[in-house]
Amino acid sequence: MKNKFLLGLAAIAMVAVLSSCGKKPQAEIDATNAAIAAAQTAEAAVYVPAEFTAVQDSMNAIMADITAQDSKLFKKFGPSKAKLASTLTLANKVATDAAAKKEEVKAEVTTLLTDTKAVCDENVTLMKKAPRGKEGAAVLEAMKTDMSAIDASCTEAQDLFDKGNYMDALNKIKAAKDKADGINTELKDAIAKVSGKKRAA
Amino acid sequence: MRKIWRGVLISSVIVVSVPVIILLMIHLTPTPPTGEMKMAREALVKAKRNNADIYSKRLFTEAKTFYDSAMMDWQKQNNRFLYARNYKKVVIFAEKSSKKAVQATENSVNTTVNLKVKVKQKIESLNDLISDIDLLFTTYPLTPEIRNRISKGKLTLKEAEVLYDNGQYFKANRKMTDSEYLLTVSYENASADLNNYFKSYTLWKKWIDKTLNDSRKTRDYSIIIDKFSRKCFIYLGGTKKYEFNAELGANWVGNKRLGGDKATPEGMYKITKKFAGSRTKYYKALLLDYPNDEDKKRFKSEIEKGSLPSSATIGGLIEIHGEGGKGIDWTEGCIALTDKEMDVVFKIAKTGTPVTIVGSMVDLQSIINR
Repeated sequence: MKNKFLLGLAAIAMVAVLSSCGKKPQAEIDATNAAIAAAQTAEAAVYVPAEFTAVQDSMNAIMADITAQDSKLFKKFGPSKAKLASTLTLANKVATDAAAKKEEVKAEVTTLLTDTKAVCDENVTLMKKAPRGKEGAAVLEAMKTDMSAIDASCTEAQDLFDKGNYMDALNKIKAAKDKADGINTELKDAIAKVSGKKRAA
Repeated sequence: MRKIWRGVLISSVIVVSVPVIILLMIHLTPTPPTGEMKMAREALVKAKRNNADIYSKRLFTEAKTFYDSAMMDWQKQNNRFLYARNYKKVVIFAEKSSKKAVQATENSVNTTVNLKVKVKQKIESLNDLISDIDLLFTTYPLTPEIRNRISKGKLTLKEAEVLYDNGQYFKANRKMTDSEYLLTVSYENASADLNNYFKSYTLWKKWIDKTLNDSRKTRDYSIIIDKFSRKCFIYLGGTKKYEFNAELGANWVGNKRLGGDKATPEGMYKITKKFAGSRTKYYKALLLDYPNDEDKKRFKSEIEKGSLPSSATIGGLIEIHGEGGKGIDWTEGCIALTDKEMDVVFKIAKTGTPVTIVGSMVDLQSIINR
């Protein structure tokens, strides 16, 4: 009887020892999750979406691996720990890349805002020189309304920029710049046409 | 001796039974759903790569929820005693997640293709609409509100084009819808106004035919002013001799109703006086017999109906005069030509020369078809 009891005890002790060989790498999981959260705060989903998705996918796979190991009698978290370490590095890189890309977009919007305002100012000057005859003045009146719309769009882009929404500001200012450039070309062509006629005369 | 044999026996039993027990324990351990979960995860990754989170949001969210539920249940089962674990629910959730993710991918791919085509077509059709608006309304006196809406619509369409070029079809579609609303509503309002303007076309056509017939009969000069195209045509014996650009009253749409409304009248008139030098402030001028009998009748009827205040006057002094070429409709209701063109008209015109002013010599459909 005593021996049977000892045998059972030995078996339980062995199971306990074997099944608790590996310990869940909770500290590494927390650190990686924190790095991913930091990347999210750095708006990685907006500025480097593909890289951010890759990090998230990698973390999901690791968590599945860890859970799978957790289901086993003999747990082995070594490979997951290594993967967590590389994902942590990647998440930190993604956060840095997102910040860099954000700065890049910010600089691009700043340039475009300045450029668009300069084109708008030039358009106002060109308007004064543009030919008014043969419906020219009516066309210029219509252009003035378009220019007001561009001005309003620049203001909206500036507001988005001030709020830190650089990507939406970029799309808005790109359209405004394109439109302002179109008017600029139209005005320059009209002026050149008249100058050409005058020279020919 | 017996004791030794007993010890050996016990040791042998232990040595044999421990591995057997361990093997049994391993064998009896429930198999975790690693394969099913991997499949679900890969399906989700594929769905995300195909932008299912944007273009098939509902299915993708469902797939993700099933995956999260599977993970939670898996972890919950792991907390139970090894042999009491049951991964059945985890497998069901994982399979559902896979199925939904695959559907989300397919749906997203189809939606993206369809949306891309749809947005592209819509951008093209809205650009055509802008061309029509520019053709019909650049010089048409629209209200500032409609003009602003058209400009805003054009700019919003440009934003949609920028988003389309960046592959952001969903956002591009939203911008395009905004643009479509702004442009379509503006076009409809402006068109309603224009259709109303062209309602008198049958009458204008009668006047034109009569003027040209008279010109043929008398073999003399006739002048026709086309307000919509802003043209002044000079006919001799029914044949067009000259064509000049004309500028009208700032409020030229529709007939003149009262003095000071800055509208250019429509009707069959005659030149009553010719002014040149100090007798006119506009280089040279040809005075018309506005208001004619028709104008007086209409004005009286409007006063009687109360659609015009009793204090209103019918106005007068409608002329064809010089100092035009400003490129805008600026007169008080007169027809302005450049001084050079005025010289030509002044030379051929005499008291009694017919001047027919019509809204348009061409019907609206022909203008649109151009």
